[in-house]
Amino acid sequence: MPDLEIKNLHVRTEDREILRGVDLTVDKGEIHALMGPNGSGKSTLANTILGHPAYEVTEGHIRFRGEDLTEADPEDRAQAGLFLAFQYPVAIPGVSVANFLRMAMNANREEDITVKEFGKDLKHAAELLHVDRSFTSRHLNDGFSGGEKKRCEILQMAMLKPEIAVMDETDSGLDIDALRTVAEGVNALHRETGMGALIITHYQRLLHYITPQFVHVLLDGRIVREGGPELVHQLESEGYDFLRNEAAVDA
Amino acid sequence: MPEATTRSAKPGAAKAAVLNSALDGEGAGDGRSVEEIRAAALAVYESLPLPTWRRSGFWTTSLRDLDLDTLEPDHHEGGSELPAVVTDAIGDEPLAGLLVQRGASVVHAQLDPELAERGVIFTALEDALRDHPELVAEHFMKRLTYDRHKLDAAATALWSGGAFLHVPDGVVVEAPFQVVYLIEGPGTVQYAHTLAVGGANSDFRLREYDLAAPFEGPALHAGHFELYLGDGARCRLAHFQDWGGAGQEVHDVSTHVAEVGRDGHCLWMPIHLGGHLTRQHIELVTAAQGSDMRHRGIYFTEGDEHLDLFTVDLHEVGHTTGDTVWHGAATGASRASYEGLIKIVKDAQESHTYLQTHSMMLSPKAKVDAIPSLIVETDSVSASHGGTVGELDEALVFYMQARGLPRADAVRMIVEGYFEPIVTQLEDERLEGLVRERIAAKLAAAAEDISAYAAAR
Repeated sequence: MPDLEIKNLHVRTEDREILRGVDLTVDKGEIHALMGPNGSGKSTLANTILGHPAYEVTEGHIRFRGEDLTEADPEDRAQAGLFLAFQYPVAIPGVSVANFLRMAMNANREEDITVKEFGKDLKHAAELLHVDRSFTSRHLNDGFSGGEKKRCEILQMAMLKPEIAVMDETDSGLDIDALRTVAEGVNALHRETGMGALIITHYQRLLHYITPQFVHVLLDGRIVREGGPELVHQLESEGYDFLRNEAAVDA
Repeated sequence: MPEATTRSAKPGAAKAAVLNSALDGEGAGDGRSVEEIRAAALAVYESLPLPTWRRSGFWTTSLRDLDLDTLEPDHHEGGSELPAVVTDAIGDEPLAGLLVQRGASVVHAQLDPELAERGVIFTALEDALRDHPELVAEHFMKRLTYDRHKLDAAATALWSGGAFLHVPDGVVVEAPFQVVYLIEGPGTVQYAHTLAVGGANSDFRLREYDLAAPFEGPALHAGHFELYLGDGARCRLAHFQDWGGAGQEVHDVSTHVAEVGRDGHCLWMPIHLGGHLTRQHIELVTAAQGSDMRHRGIYFTEGDEHLDLFTVDLHEVGHTTGDTVWHGAATGASRASYEGLIKIVKDAQESHTYLQTHSMMLSPKAKVDAIPSLIVETDSVSASHGGTVGELDEALVFYMQARGLPRADAVRMIVEGYFEPIVTQLEDERLEGLVRERIAAKLAAAAEDISAYAAAR
């Protein structure tokens, strides 16, 4: 039984169909890259996997270990082991990073985490992401720089230890040092916990530091090409145009 | 003269809108004794009808449902145990002093004996009038008025009990002084008056709690509060209003004023967490060079509550600073209006102040208004204001749900977080805990309403 299974997924917002039959399977321990030009539907897919209410699934389904999550509430998907690293993380004034993390961790487990265990996990995660401990007493994303927000997303990922993480354009807006730190964090989690990942990116920058086993290319709401890491290099040198031309010929 | 006739926006109209303004009217300061002022107020009281505040076609605060003739003062004997609603709210932390007024009577007045030795006075105002007549007369009604409306007059003429605090020059007190006004039954009226004076370079904390034991039916609290801070004096001041929930019809028409002296500082936090109908005028005056005030307010209305707040940040001289921030939320079919005026008078150059007000609507039937305004009569000042009225941000809810938090928990954290930057500024853990507890209870009570609203949007 696959872990995350997406079958013939059709999604629309208000008046427009954005995904037009997406098939994708991500298992624990696997790193997938989902690439595609702007407007191809990448962020829609990421948000739909976690159940964003603005996106309506009109056909197809999302399953996690056999359980149909297509209509599930976002919190149920998270509790099942899915995680979304947001492209634009929102600020939550008045709620500290540490307090939020403790609430989120407790929501995902039977018994509340002890202060000691939480402190240990937090220290480990902060070191992994090269952030100062004082970072976690700040209000969540409130006044954070773009790079801090992205690190904070990965810090949360390291604390919540999902089965499968969806990372939506995590590389955008990061300088090279931050990019490297974030990539090291993801690689460490993959190595230590066997976390699977679906890395969504427009550029290839993050994929210079994280090597995907599977690469998918999304174009106009459909996956038009799948392959291994070599596809990243081909896209880097040739752009998306050759796929567009192929798609036009197929149609 | 009554407000409604002197400040018509549309002259001649019988039901004209009222322009709110800084306190202006008859008060003390012309050498009259306390008795003479109260007698004059009584005459005003008897000559006026109950007031109506009409700001525009969209906002009216009316007391037409209140029958004053049926309300009686509720007298109590001192010395008995304090009711649970009081002891629960104040907890067991050490206080510099505790004064409790039940209905019309002060039943408990206690002051740390060490502070009494250092000259601090904390007692019922009626006792202070007898024991320290000159000290009271020097400050009584210095800034308050008695003729703006019938209940302004009533609070002056008819108060009983009351609270008087005097912190002498240079005295610094860490623990808070606590005043409690308690209403316990339907059909009762409470006329309240707190007078607090901080001498030069004094530094202290003062809390006034307005509480009600559970009951059903109408009651009235009409209160006056005045605080005068001398040169270099500092005060952290909190008003905590919780007159109970649905069915408990406590009307509150009050005027609160604080004056800050030269290089003095006041942090003032009004907290409104319950009241059937509230109309309050809250005025903070920076009255001498270098005085600084910080105003941090909170409100949360529910059910069919009606809250009408008008605050004034008045700069009477130059080189003064101010900073006002209010956060409010409304559920149910409640109505909350916050109007904040910055007024910088002629010759008050180099005053710098800022006002912002935010309101969050958590229900489709709730109605909130946030109106900042500005009157600047001089140049070379900086004064700015801003206001927002919004709904719960669904992007935040989704973010938190995507981390595994159930919707209700996410909403609670967001709304609590919205109040948190205000609540923590008082650096009063006990009061912070009380506010968080009440807000959480209100959110839990309104959970269905809030989700239905989100689903409908």
